[in-house]
Amino acid sequence: MSESSESTARRNGWRLIVREAGRRRLGIAIGVVTGLAWTAAKVSTGVIVRQAVDEGIERDDMTALRNWAVVLGCVALASAVFTGLRRYMAFREARAVEASLRDRIFAHVQRLHFAFHDEVQTGQIMSRANTDLQQIQAFVVMVPLTISNFMTVLSVTVILVTIDPLLTLLALGSLPFLNLMATRFSRRLHPHVMAIQQESAELAAVVEESVAGVRVIKGLGAERVQAARLAAEADDVYRASMAAAMTRARFVPALELLPNIGFIAVLGYGGHQVLSGDLTLGALVAFNVYIGMLVWPLRMLGMIVAQAQRAVAAAERVHEVLATQPEVTDPPRPKPLPAGGGELRFRGVRFGYGRAEPVLDGFDLTVRAGESVALVGATGSGKSTIARLIPRFYDVEEGSITLDGVDVRELRLRELRRAIGIVFEDTFLFSDTIGANIAFADPDAPPEAIERAARLAGAHEFITALPEGYATRIGERGYSLSGGQRQRIAIARAILADPRVLILDDATSAVDPTKEHEIRDALAEVMRGRTTIVIAHRPATIALADRVVLIDGGRVAAEGTHQSLLGSSERYREVLASAAARHAEAVPHDAGAVVAGDGDGGPPGRPERVGGAVAGRARGGRS
Amino acid sequence: MWMAAGVDAEDKLDAAAARQVLRRSARLLRPHRRRVVGAVAMVVLWTCTVLAGPYLVSVGIDRGIKEGNAAALNLAVAGYVAVAALAYVTNRRQIALISRVGEDFLRELRIRVFRHLQRLSMPFYDRSKAGVLVSRMTSDVDSLAELIQLGLAMFVSNALLLVVSLAVLTAVSWQLMLVCAAALPPVILASVKFQRDSNEAYLEVRDNIGNTLSHLQEGIAGVRVVQAFAREDVEVGRFERGNRELYESHMRSVAISAWYLPVIELAGWGTTALAVGIGGWWVHQGALTVGTVAFFVLTLSNLFEPVQQLSQLFNMVQSAGAGLQKLYELLDTPVDVDERPGAIDLPETGDIEVERVSFAYGDGPTVLRDVSLRIPAGARLALVGPTGAGKSTLAKLIARFYDPTEGHVRFGGVDLRDATLSSLRSRIVVIPQEGFLFNGTIRDNVRLARAGASDAEVDDALRAVGAYERFAALPDGLDTEVRERGSRLSAGEKQLVSLARAALADPAVLVLDEATSSLDPGTEALVEAAVGRLMEGRTVVVIAHRLSTAERADLVAVVTGGELVEVGTHDELVARGGAYTALYETWVAGTGAEPVQ
Repeated sequence: MSESSESTARRNGWRLIVREAGRRRLGIAIGVVTGLAWTAAKVSTGVIVRQAVDEGIERDDMTALRNWAVVLGCVALASAVFTGLRRYMAFREARAVEASLRDRIFAHVQRLHFAFHDEVQTGQIMSRANTDLQQIQAFVVMVPLTISNFMTVLSVTVILVTIDPLLTLLALGSLPFLNLMATRFSRRLHPHVMAIQQESAELAAVVEESVAGVRVIKGLGAERVQAARLAAEADDVYRASMAAAMTRARFVPALELLPNIGFIAVLGYGGHQVLSGDLTLGALVAFNVYIGMLVWPLRMLGMIVAQAQRAVAAAERVHEVLATQPEVTDPPRPKPLPAGGGELRFRGVRFGYGRAEPVLDGFDLTVRAGESVALVGATGSGKSTIARLIPRFYDVEEGSITLDGVDVRELRLRELRRAIGIVFEDTFLFSDTIGANIAFADPDAPPEAIERAARLAGAHEFITALPEGYATRIGERGYSLSGGQRQRIAIARAILADPRVLILDDATSAVDPTKEHEIRDALAEVMRGRTTIVIAHRPATIALADRVVLIDGGRVAAEGTHQSLLGSSERYREVLASAAARHAEAVPHDAGAVVAGDGDGGPPGRPERVGGAVAGRARGGRS
Repeated sequence: MWMAAGVDAEDKLDAAAARQVLRRSARLLRPHRRRVVGAVAMVVLWTCTVLAGPYLVSVGIDRGIKEGNAAALNLAVAGYVAVAALAYVTNRRQIALISRVGEDFLRELRIRVFRHLQRLSMPFYDRSKAGVLVSRMTSDVDSLAELIQLGLAMFVSNALLLVVSLAVLTAVSWQLMLVCAAALPPVILASVKFQRDSNEAYLEVRDNIGNTLSHLQEGIAGVRVVQAFAREDVEVGRFERGNRELYESHMRSVAISAWYLPVIELAGWGTTALAVGIGGWWVHQGALTVGTVAFFVLTLSNLFEPVQQLSQLFNMVQSAGAGLQKLYELLDTPVDVDERPGAIDLPETGDIEVERVSFAYGDGPTVLRDVSLRIPAGARLALVGPTGAGKSTLAKLIARFYDPTEGHVRFGGVDLRDATLSSLRSRIVVIPQEGFLFNGTIRDNVRLARAGASDAEVDDALRAVGAYERFAALPDGLDTEVRERGSRLSAGEKQLVSLARAALADPAVLVLDEATSSLDPGTEALVEAAVGRLMEGRTVVVIAHRLSTAERADLVAVVTGGELVEVGTHDELVARGGAYTALYETWVAGTGAEPVQ
């Protein structure tokens, strides 16, 4: 990274923190004010102790002593109240900044285009919204605390200088080193802490894969190999932890030694000053009290420098996400979607995921309202890409797609996507009830509508057979479904939306062929009178469509009915044959079993994970 | 500084369990006892130096300043210098020793627990959730590590500091101490309440963090579906509600410390005021010296600090204790499939005999009933049958992943239960359906089968399955790192690696679970050829999902409903008109129904 872009990034990071914190300025200001009140109370305790000793004890004035003791008690009460308040305010505002940034990241990412999600891994965004925000939070919390700490240091210094400048120098002279050393300590320790985290994560990875791959390990008798790998990782963790411990051992005792130098100087030099009558005993005690008072504020002042650097680096990364502009957005002057039956027209469409070699080039196709079309093509021919261009998951690079006569780019996104129901090949279900997953498009859908959609998708039967029916929770702590069952729920989800255009992208690939037959009848029903695009490999499914389009070389290579293409197109036969070789030979796997275990009547398999855990499966989405 | 830790109510140790955990830890620490003694000595010495400082100040004031004795003052100063030096040295040694002992202990514990995990057999893995097992080695060990790295020394020295401070203050002036002790009951009550509330608040925060993160992850991983159904606003709203809950739980947690810390601070300064007021009056009466009052003032402001630290550390100690207990429990889990004392090595080759074997998973229903079967050395057996019929269970019994509930499995006449595990695993190798890859290079992954194998031997294994060229052609060749369990390799390529492992292990018996999922056309043929080559000259048990595999086998065994219903050659069984014939017909129909060939 060049120097200027680095400084721009840093400026962006700072700006993000300042702006977010600026929105909480009232609370932060209250935090600062209570902090200063705390400083005042705390600093005055030293003065009061001195007065109590000098005017009360030394002069044997018991009234003065009593008065000062009472004042000390009152000031202590004030100091206690303010210390709680300043802490509460500081954390309240810092946590609010953190929460607000997290909301912003989530809302922003939800609206970012597919291409962004193809590039960026889930884990990366997760760490922006988690560890990076914690760094920012830890910095913001220190800001009001640091201001009052700084004021404490300043006012204590001023008070002590007025008592005895030379003694002040001796007493506090070592303390700036405390600040410097704390900064260095924080900076030195941080990489070790990160290394421990890194090494622990590597160790955890070995444990995780050893548990997940236990069959392989047992099958090969490779227990010792894995044990040796773990021992190596454990050694790494050990080394990193010891390096951190040694850094602590080097700095912590020194940090604790420095105030002692001040105490010794006060007792030595100050003691002789008292002996020679140049200093009062009360002042000597006050010096001791003040040195103790400055230890933590100075150490914190040292830490904030290092923390600020980490926070800015984190804020730069957060800014990067937030500054990414959604590429697929509502048009400035959207047109309303006219009434219609869902006619689709592709005109000279060119698209290639931003790469030089396009997937689709000069693609022309018209799907009449209410017509169903099967797209057939070899792997990578662009079938799924066509499906993804219609709801504007990506925008065409050249040409246009119209829905009922309007370019899809001229429609409001929400309206367009509501008019299109899509079932992906990789089924993604949310960790919620089955009913809620089906009612995804319309959370207020009545139970009858949910059941009707499930019936049409051939899912009603197995759902009602589950112990809690539609209320069954799926996901990490919930029920585990087979691939075919998941696909059927996804189909029901699309049906419930009652879309103008239905897109089934290899939506029955995981469904057992014997069951697919049942769904096929239901699908025929759903497709009747509805514009439908079917991407499939099985001839029986392809045959559902009114028309079959063969895609090859990025454009329409042939079209007709299944039977006519079988007869006329050599390429069509080839494509189907290679698909059949891949799919047909395998024996039915989804035997309607609720648990997709690893084989036969063994113990129930562990529940598969839904939602986030299948991040890897919801990848790129290129066909 | 704020330290977050906590322990679930059900994980809290009662006194007896805590004692047991302590005893056992003490046993494990015995080899380190010299360091432990050293560490304790350092902690005690260091704690004394912390108190000695203020004490020397009070001596300096009373003996030196008040009595006008410069020599005594100088002596006190010199004493302080010595104390400061000692504090530095002992503090350093203390941190180093505790870390050393603690990290050694952790390292041994990690290795021990993992070794035991590896020894535990399949029935154990069936019973346990993977996530829970992993958390033993991660969060449970980490809670312990946190205690060792941050809290242990502090816990011990703070406890000592508190006790010694109270003792010294009492010794210096028990009357003044008695006055100051008035602050103790409220401080203790507040600390107990704080410890309980903060634990609860911590757990609540932890749960909310978990919820928010999983919601976040789901929102990102499922973003395509969300956008497809134009549900962004609903999802954002849901996320904001969860995030708000997290914020509120954070605030509850802060509120708890925001009332507790002032109590501690007030106790410190309140007693200071008492010491100055009442102590000063006693000085006036001649019952006390000014130095004593100064000593009280300097010590009291720090007396309640340890109380506060202890109440925070208490949660950390509890959670570490709970973690340790769970780890010890895991170490105590017996190994079901283990080596018998006096076990013998299996012969190099031999027939496999399955004699009247029945099997049930744990207390579950019987999944195999009275199965008898003989596989001559060098023969290929295909196990066929519907899903759930018991064919892969039979395969697992042959490889001794489980021991049969009744009956015997023998290799070369030796019951597998009498064989050494190392000879068993080198004679009989199981290749599961999915090519499971571990982090590391392709070579590392193959080498899993034989730890000491040279690069040349690994290359030969890859050549033996015909996969060498394919991987050598990668930019980094065989040293290509397979990331995230091989996400960069295709399913077929992963299978090839898995088959190369078998070639490297070079076993007498190969148990294969044929892939049901489709492979990319490019590697499909390669995998099939590899399987063919591997089978040569070995006894093979294959769980067949494809007709072609069954056709090629010497023997076909049909398993249905937990019973072995037919055994014979493919041709015999097709001709017989039984279960296999029916299966054969659905297979043929399954492929033939596609009118494409």
